[in-house]
Amino acid sequence: MKSRVLVIIPAYNEAESIAKVIQSLKDHVPEYSILVVNDGSTDATEEVVRRFHGVDLINLPFNMGIGNTMQTGYKYALREGFDIAVQCDGDGQHPVQQIAKIVERVEGGDADMVIGSRYVSDTNYAPSFSRRVGKSLLSRIVNSVVGGGITDTTSGFRAANRAVIATFANTYPDDYPEAEALVIMHKHGLKAVETPVDMLPRQGGRSSIGPGRAAYYIVKVSLAIFIGVFKKITHAPGESAEESEAVNAAAFHEETK
Amino acid sequence: MEDIQLFGIQPSHRLAITILSIFLFALILELVRRDYLKERYALLWLATSAIGLFVGIIPGVIGQFARVFHFQMITMLFVISFFYVLGIVLGFSIIISKLSERNRRLAQEVALLGNRLEHLEQSRGST
Repeated sequence: MKSRVLVIIPAYNEAESIAKVIQSLKDHVPEYSILVVNDGSTDATEEVVRRFHGVDLINLPFNMGIGNTMQTGYKYALREGFDIAVQCDGDGQHPVQQIAKIVERVEGGDADMVIGSRYVSDTNYAPSFSRRVGKSLLSRIVNSVVGGGITDTTSGFRAANRAVIATFANTYPDDYPEAEALVIMHKHGLKAVETPVDMLPRQGGRSSIGPGRAAYYIVKVSLAIFIGVFKKITHAPGESAEESEAVNAAAFHEETK
Repeated sequence: MEDIQLFGIQPSHRLAITILSIFLFALILELVRRDYLKERYALLWLATSAIGLFVGIIPGVIGQFARVFHFQMITMLFVISFFYVLGIVLGFSIIISKLSERNRRLAQEVALLGNRLEHLEQSRGST
């Protein structure tokens, strides 16, 4: 049976670039469903998205950050019964024409999550020095926890199966979530692998990570990861409405193994 | 002996502490009455004013602490109030974290429901 794939596009003020991303998805992978989660954009993002037929839109009531935006997408994917959810940024940096490549690896059961990586050998990605240092530091921390194998821990271009969707619907970091999410997965016994992809320059808008926030990013994520290792897996009783969903999904995961 | 215990605290200080505590007590009650403050958190502040009142009336208690920890009276007062305030602020950070987590779930739920509602309206409109 063909699996149902949802592409989740988190969008904060991406009116300039998101149309291209959506059009590109419709051209390359018309069989995938598309969901845009609009994170309280103040520009015309919503209007642009509404021009497309068959693209679902969720408007967050206010700006909540990329983590909460993606989690909303995972909750939707869980409730609507999608088998695979792909995160794809709305700024046009993620190579849509290679999306099938990461989805097929998840479908094939290679891992619970497949990350489209910018660092694996045959790509042309050249980040700035500080970015490289920061990310390699982060990468080392994450890899020391999850047992290695992930070079690009901050790539947001990733496809996840239903077990991961259920886990993220329950627990997902609220800001700079990519690296920390890998640690959460590891704690839930879920496996991530990566595949090389070519990243593109931004099509418009501006990056949500300015240079001044890089330090905060590293400290916050390291702290979250170190504490995360000792954290209890589930939330306090009464706080988590999704707990039962996560349990169901874990059972599902066992079945499919 | 009494003089050593109360070192640095004059009767006028005691009076000031007592009056301030009574004022705080009255203020809290008024804030609760006007619904600016929840009873739940008001209890903490009422307790604070009660402690202030207690210290104002019987300042020797602080003196006892000061002797045990080998502090000057005024230092002891400062140390106690510092940690007390620190505890309150930490408590608030915990409450804020909890509230923001609930806020996040609520906002996500509202967004997801909004999406469902839109679908429902569309399907009703088309039939």
